[in-house]
Amino acid sequence: MGDSIVWLRAVTKDYGQGDVVVRALRGIDLTLDRGDFAAVAGPSGSGKSTLLNVMSGLDRPSSGEVSLDGRDLTRLSRSELSRLRLTRIGFVFQAYNLLPVLTAYENAEYVLMMQGVPASARRERVMGLLELVGLGGMEDRFPRELSGGQQQRVAIARAIASEPALILADEPTANVDSKTAAALLDLMQQLNEEKGVTFLFSTHDRKVMARAGRLIRLVDGRIAYDGEAGSLEALDADEG
Amino acid sequence: MGTLRIAWRSIWRNGRRTAITVAAVGMSTLIMVVTFGLMDGMRIDMVHNVTHLVLGDVQVHATGYRADQSFYKAVPEPEAILDAARAAGVHAAPRAYGYGLVSVGHKSAGARFWGVEPAAERAAFDLAGKLAQGSFLSDSAEASRASRELVLGRKLARSLHAELGSEIIAVVQAADGSLGNELFTVVGILVSCGEDMDRSAAIIHARDFELLFVSGGRIHEIALNARGTVSPERVAARLEAAVTGKAELEEKKPEKEAGGVDIETWRELNPALSDMERLFGASMWLFSLIFFLAAGLGVMNTMLMATFERIREFGVLKALGSTPWRILRDVATESFVLGLFASLLGAVLGAACNLYLAHAGIDLSRYGDVFVEGVAFSPIWRAAASVEGIAAPSAVMVVVCVLAALYPAAKAARLDPVRAMTHV
Repeated sequence: MGDSIVWLRAVTKDYGQGDVVVRALRGIDLTLDRGDFAAVAGPSGSGKSTLLNVMSGLDRPSSGEVSLDGRDLTRLSRSELSRLRLTRIGFVFQAYNLLPVLTAYENAEYVLMMQGVPASARRERVMGLLELVGLGGMEDRFPRELSGGQQQRVAIARAIASEPALILADEPTANVDSKTAAALLDLMQQLNEEKGVTFLFSTHDRKVMARAGRLIRLVDGRIAYDGEAGSLEALDADEG
Repeated sequence: MGTLRIAWRSIWRNGRRTAITVAAVGMSTLIMVVTFGLMDGMRIDMVHNVTHLVLGDVQVHATGYRADQSFYKAVPEPEAILDAARAAGVHAAPRAYGYGLVSVGHKSAGARFWGVEPAAERAAFDLAGKLAQGSFLSDSAEASRASRELVLGRKLARSLHAELGSEIIAVVQAADGSLGNELFTVVGILVSCGEDMDRSAAIIHARDFELLFVSGGRIHEIALNARGTVSPERVAARLEAAVTGKAELEEKKPEKEAGGVDIETWRELNPALSDMERLFGASMWLFSLIFFLAAGLGVMNTMLMATFERIREFGVLKALGSTPWRILRDVATESFVLGLFASLLGAVLGAACNLYLAHAGIDLSRYGDVFVEGVAFSPIWRAAASVEGIAAPSAVMVVVCVLAALYPAAKAARLDPVRAMTHV
């Protein structure tokens, strides 16, 4: 597995029972390496979100093997999976999903608090992160007082606060305008290059796909393309 | 960022709903605090009226006296017991009892004569002040003897048609078998002090009793009253240690019989009252169940609503790594904060009501004398504003709020994160 962070073999995921079974993933083989800046693309219903959920242990595969940072997720209990997500995975959601009763600072701090990091260490790290994501001076604002782009920056700060091995971002730019989307991508790319944070984000947006170092295209629960994002011609050919 | 602070902010997301729940829980707490205060006031009044009137915290009799009330079963070495009481800083009143006939004109009735030391009674008990008419006996034996003073129970005086100044002929069988008789003058008539005393008490000076009954200084009872400074059990333990010469054992219940005397606390002397007093506490908690249940259901409803509104949020928290236990704890903490706030509010208002009711009381005099099981209650019903009476129902209310949140909390904790995050 080399320097891989996530490793999937023959992963399938079915939803429903009896005659009504939806096969969301149909035998996925995938390895994500440390430092990857990868995008998962594909039409709606192609299995992008299911793939991210299975990778993070939020959902269990129907069959196959999933390993994160050397640990077999299919063998872990719910509590162990929670602990693994808390320490090894950061999440960025399409709808930001910040806690409305917490300020920007407290939202970014929340995961560290759950980890039991002492208050002084939390303060130093979170203030630095808010500065890094361009929200210096806005730490006391509640989510309702921030724009969509600013909320997503807080979400990114929250995701990287615990220095996880992997950040999974589900359509992180879908709810912001193109200028903000570009700024968010700049930020994620900067974190990837400067801090070595591994990113895997799902997207519909071709401009976003073009920024990824690696593109994984899903069609009907199968990997239709896995390669450099720069060769969109190949992708187009595949689509054709 | 503390868990309590997050919980405080969370419960105020829906301010109106939380305000209604706080009002309901606070009101329940207030009602319970006030009711506890009033009932505790009644209980204390009841015990006080009985123990401080004549019963005392502890009584000493010759072994077996209470069973047959034999005139000849006198307390051996009463001075030693009185000395022990004095050493322990406890008031003690020696008494002698005898039965006889009292007559005024052509009216006569059976009576129980009490031979008392008026000064000791005055110091130890409230009896000397419980007079509807007249005054209590003079402290000095000579003065009492000169005026042939006698104090009558209320109903006994009525049945004899006796008034202040009435001359009473007492006829008794003396200890030596002779017939004792004496003429007394009524100097006082007691207020209602309980059925037995009202119907039969004829109280005279100990010296007069000795002469009437030729009792040879017999003492049948020594009643001790610490007036709340020491518990009855401790008083009994000290006495027993003094009588037997053994070291006082704080926790051990004293032997009933020690050195030829029975040493009994008021609970043993009046088990019916003791049971009633204990029943007061139990019935209060039973009554409280209704309020706890109502408040608990209100809190459960609030927390269920809050949980349903935040399904997505709980999904996100689980995705971020929150364990089911942590979510359960967070929801329970919110309920704890809500319950604590509401209970404190209710407790403060309830304490204010109790302080007022402890001071002003509720006037029951229009209903006449109130007796329950022969125990007289004060005409003004006052609340007891004790810390325990306020803290106990308030604390239980907080616990009820937390327990009521466990069901919604468990529901939140069991949510599937993927489904929860896509919940609409």
